[in-house]
Amino acid sequence: SSDEHKLNFRKSKEACLSYIQDALLQKQWKRAAEFLTCYVESLEKDYSREHIGPSEVIWRIGTEIFYHSQSSMKEFNYFMEQMKTLGVKRYLKVCLEHIFHLLCNGQIDEAYQNLSLAESWRFGEQTAVQDKEMKLIQAYRGLLDYYSWSKQKNILLEHGEDGFSDLAVEQEMHGYFRKAAVNLKEIIKIPGVWDIFVKCYVDLLEFYGDHNEAHQVLNEYAYNSKFPANPNAHVYLYQFLKRQGESKKTLISALKILHDIVPSHELMIDFNTMLQKSKKRKKRRMGLEVIFAALDYAGWKENAKAWSCLARQVKQIVISGKHLDWIKQEWSSRKDWWPAFHFSRYLAKRNWQENKSLSYEKALVAGILLGKDCKYFKYVSHQGCKAQLKRFRMLKKFVNRHNPAYLRISG
Amino acid sequence: MEFPAALFPSYFSVGPPREEGGSAPVAGWGEHGQVLEGGPGRRQMQPAFVPRRGVTGERWEAADAAAVPVLLPSEDVWIPSPTPQDILYSSGLCRNLRAGKSGATLDFAKQLGHFFVDHPEDAFGSLGHLLHKNFYLGNSKLKVIVCPGITVLFPTLPLASLNLCPLLLQRPARSSTIRMTALVEDIDRLEARRGCPRQHLASRLRWFSHLCRDWLFEVPLGLLADCLHEELMQQWSNLLFDDSLTGGALAWLPPEDGGTPVGRLVHPGGKAMNHLYFQDVVLEELPRARGSPAQFELSGRIRQVAAARVDGQDFVGVRSDYHCGVWRVPGKAGAAPTPLQVIHTDVPASCLTVSPHLPGELSVCTQSGTVYLWSVETGLQRLRHDPQTMFFRDHSSWRWSDFTAHPRVLSCADRTGLQCLDVRAPKRCHFDLFKVGEEAGCQQGERVVLPMYLGRAHPSQYLVTTQFSTYVLDERLPLMPVLKWAHMMKAPPVFAHLMPGKPGRSHKVLLGASHTQELLLLQYRVVSSGGSQSACQLAGTPQKLHSIAGCLQHLPTQLPHRHHMLQQRLTAPAAGLAATLEEDALHKSMLIFQLSEAGDVFCQRLTHKPAQPPAPPSRDEEPCANSQPSPEVPSPAAALQYRRWLRALSRACREPPQHSWPPSLSQRRLFTRRDLEGPAGPSSLQRQMRQRLRQTMQEGGCIQCWEPLDIQPPPQPQTLEPADGPDPLSARLTAAWTGDWEQWWEERTSFSVAQRQRALRERRRRQKRARGHRSLSASFTSSLTYQSELSELSDTGLPLLSPGRPPILSQEGSPRASSPPLHSPPASPVPDEALLSSQSLRCRGIPKERRKTLRDYLSVWAEGPPEPPEPPGSQASQLCIPSSQSQLSSASQPLRKRPRMGF
Repeated sequence: SSDEHKLNFRKSKEACLSYIQDALLQKQWKRAAEFLTCYVESLEKDYSREHIGPSEVIWRIGTEIFYHSQSSMKEFNYFMEQMKTLGVKRYLKVCLEHIFHLLCNGQIDEAYQNLSLAESWRFGEQTAVQDKEMKLIQAYRGLLDYYSWSKQKNILLEHGEDGFSDLAVEQEMHGYFRKAAVNLKEIIKIPGVWDIFVKCYVDLLEFYGDHNEAHQVLNEYAYNSKFPANPNAHVYLYQFLKRQGESKKTLISALKILHDIVPSHELMIDFNTMLQKSKKRKKRRMGLEVIFAALDYAGWKENAKAWSCLARQVKQIVISGKHLDWIKQEWSSRKDWWPAFHFSRYLAKRNWQENKSLSYEKALVAGILLGKDCKYFKYVSHQGCKAQLKRFRMLKKFVNRHNPAYLRISG
Repeated sequence: MEFPAALFPSYFSVGPPREEGGSAPVAGWGEHGQVLEGGPGRRQMQPAFVPRRGVTGERWEAADAAAVPVLLPSEDVWIPSPTPQDILYSSGLCRNLRAGKSGATLDFAKQLGHFFVDHPEDAFGSLGHLLHKNFYLGNSKLKVIVCPGITVLFPTLPLASLNLCPLLLQRPARSSTIRMTALVEDIDRLEARRGCPRQHLASRLRWFSHLCRDWLFEVPLGLLADCLHEELMQQWSNLLFDDSLTGGALAWLPPEDGGTPVGRLVHPGGKAMNHLYFQDVVLEELPRARGSPAQFELSGRIRQVAAARVDGQDFVGVRSDYHCGVWRVPGKAGAAPTPLQVIHTDVPASCLTVSPHLPGELSVCTQSGTVYLWSVETGLQRLRHDPQTMFFRDHSSWRWSDFTAHPRVLSCADRTGLQCLDVRAPKRCHFDLFKVGEEAGCQQGERVVLPMYLGRAHPSQYLVTTQFSTYVLDERLPLMPVLKWAHMMKAPPVFAHLMPGKPGRSHKVLLGASHTQELLLLQYRVVSSGGSQSACQLAGTPQKLHSIAGCLQHLPTQLPHRHHMLQQRLTAPAAGLAATLEEDALHKSMLIFQLSEAGDVFCQRLTHKPAQPPAPPSRDEEPCANSQPSPEVPSPAAALQYRRWLRALSRACREPPQHSWPPSLSQRRLFTRRDLEGPAGPSSLQRQMRQRLRQTMQEGGCIQCWEPLDIQPPPQPQTLEPADGPDPLSARLTAAWTGDWEQWWEERTSFSVAQRQRALRERRRRQKRARGHRSLSASFTSSLTYQSELSELSDTGLPLLSPGRPPILSQEGSPRASSPPLHSPPASPVPDEALLSSQSLRCRGIPKERRKTLRDYLSVWAEGPPEPPEPPGSQASQLCIPSSQSQLSSASQPLRKRPRMGF
């Protein structure tokens, strides 16, 4: 009966697919390709109402096989054209993937052509997914326009040095700017992660002196709550502000927000340095908080720069004898786990072997926070003295002299 | 670690997942995902792009054709866990009917039936004892009309009225006994018609169940059924997906850097998987166990073994359902593991992870939705208690927790997503790390299966697997996965293992599923562009690795039943996964260990192949030349290991556990050589008899008398036999043959004849004294008492001709048995008497008084020469019936007559 036929057909189709899958997972591309030629038959009697239909299966598997085979780009392009017509609903998706492949293989011009073609594609009413894909296609075209603009700009700048300007090149460049700006502006309005698009758009705006627009775009990208909490948005804003020569206060407030989102961001060193230099007590205190918070993270454990920042600030406070309570407060929430996390004997040994200056900074902090009897300090200062390093002898003296500070912190 | 300077573009939206679908078999292929400029920089004329899903990764190839066992199978016999066939309704008819419907049908009735058959005492204990005399299961007709008045009487009997029962039993038997055979037949017929849409319950069954449903069962039927159903549902859901295995029960403690290549495998074992082993393993071409393992016996099945190395020491956490324990293993090779602490939970624990930051810190989750930070020094700290799931409602009580880049921040997971909590202020400070929703581009129905902190590769990265995809998350950009890939595995990956790569190399993640034993190797790396770190990229295609079951085809050919047993053992669900990278200047290889529920640990080696320069496309060669399949046949070393493993396995299987055999003695100890010397061959009489039998069969006639009439009188047998029956050996063998040997032995040894006679006389005196109070039926037999008591005596030293013994044989064994009454003394071996001996009657559960009655009756009929044994079937059924006189007499009359004709 026809039902049975359908059932059998479906079964053999599934079996074929599982063979292909098996071959792909074992990197047997040729075997997979042979099975795929059999699978193509399933297109004829497509009764399936599955999530991924046969046309998409063929596209995905075929593409995968092409990625790994050494066939020519021409063949691949031909295959992709076929696939575009095979599944109308997936046209834009297939186009995008084709374009990505071209871009990754350095075929920028072909990619641009394909982008323009895909942009002009219309078929019935667009679904939400297609709408998103179309926006991406436009954005990538904008990106390529930006690269062309950037190329022209470099030519002009080089030529400009020679005192020779080419009006045609300049006009072409402006043309690219307009095309790029329109498309890039569109995509970055939609919530998402658009790091490269934002960077390019801001670069364009800055070149043409539209700093307000650039600032606004970056502000929007960083602070719009519909967007994900992307640390890069804050980094771009901070870098822009820095380029603009904004005041310390503005920079600090930008970094403060980054600190709140990602206390372990690498810009926290800059932030701490900036705060330490500040004359305001509150800022300096915040600096101490920032560096303590950064060193909480496993990724910072062996960051010599961060430890030297902390060591410097702690030393400063101890020498001045003022604000020991800042340290005390920071320390109180850490004293139950920092000794095991940072100042174990095992770490002392390893740090000493691997990075002497790191162990110096850490020993200083350990000596002040945990006293001169702390394992880490004892080991490192002992090793340092044994190795006749003046720096470590000084360290030992300093910690011994300031032992009362330790008592005040721990008390 | 720096945050990537630019991330791959992607849309971000919030809300529940919109994308429909399910697991698609090919969803992970053929996509680059997105591209990002990651080239040498913008100064160049051409920007270079990198895809999110890169095509090239490191090449790792299997070194052998299949996985190889690392440890020899233990002595304990493995008990396979239930399979779907065990608990599912598997009628062909039913399958067809249900083909259109989704969902399986649990075979509830069969399981309940199993319970009744396997535990009859628990199911029907007291009432069974009370009533079994009133139920008759024989085939012969019970000449009694089951009158409704009496059958209805049963339910009205008070359950505890034990006093009433003797009264009831003293009634004439026919009024209180019902024949159940028809009922049983009805039940059998019902079984055969199962699944038939037009089945009709037999009315008899209906009334029986109506009558006794309420009182027959020891445990109320409704309650029992509820419990069983609950258990069945639990078993079935475990078969579909067993989340208690999440995380895996295998850990590898790598050797210290620069030390000897001896690592340690931590794995469960034993029959109940409740022994924890720390086994030293030498890393050679094939890893080899060294020495005997350190062993700990735990009080529950080990579900998970988690390990982390802090400050050069390994901390191993072990989770069973209600207990979690932590061991410390010093880094020095050969140092003994020390147990540190054990905690007990009221609700089964679902997760145990060991902190990679601080020594002796672990996190524990229970199925009640509680998350604890467990420190060996300070004890347990409860961080959260919420029986509800986090982001939307899901019925699963599975919870998970792991550590993050911040040692004081823990992640908590349920099926709907992950949240991070600060242990210093768990109520206030938390953020969402992953949500099943549009944020991560999830599909409808997607659920978190296993989260894992990837700290050894990148301090702020996290792996989350669902049944459809794997995600890599960065804590610094929560909710948006930095990497997503549809893994296309057939079963959800419940095991994962990370092998961090050195800078510039890819990190390797192994994903493992339990029931399908799938094993997938993924690689991802951080793209570096222009010196700064950039976004995460999936490197190369995922690779399927050998499963344990895959080695079956490489094992030597086995007999079918052994093949089946092996297949069952090797296809047991996976229970754990561990791996290690071995790198030296020349070779890089990867060792992957897989644990199965049967307790087997298999391993496979992958070797790294340096990337080949891409060949020019114009070459004539086949385009896929760079793909080399793994070797076809196992290496000699692997084959040797298979053989050793098989040998050990067959040894373990051949030796059955002691209790499954009845105690046995060697024949040589029991019998002297002379005893064992049988007759040299068939005697001439036997030969004659056989010939006669053959002849008669050919003629189609019948032998009415075995007496060799037309031939010479039989010669006297050579063997000396006691005058009163067969020799002791044949009597013993006969008893052994019928299974009554023990009884025979007991009778022979425990009482001497004299003792028994004394006991009998004593009893007779008592009976005489009591006779005055006896009922009519007892007094009726008085004249014949002597005879019956003698029959009791006659058991000793005489063959117990039990029903199983063919009568012809007995005659062949002792030719003179043809005329036993002539030679026998008064206490002759009358077979009927033997069968009616008090012991055999007691064995059949016939009460004492009735035993006597029965004997008396039979002895009346046995006045004349005693009868030879009857065909087994009729005897057995008769003696089972403690029933009416009329029936017995009708049955025994022809018995009496026939032998007379014959002799």
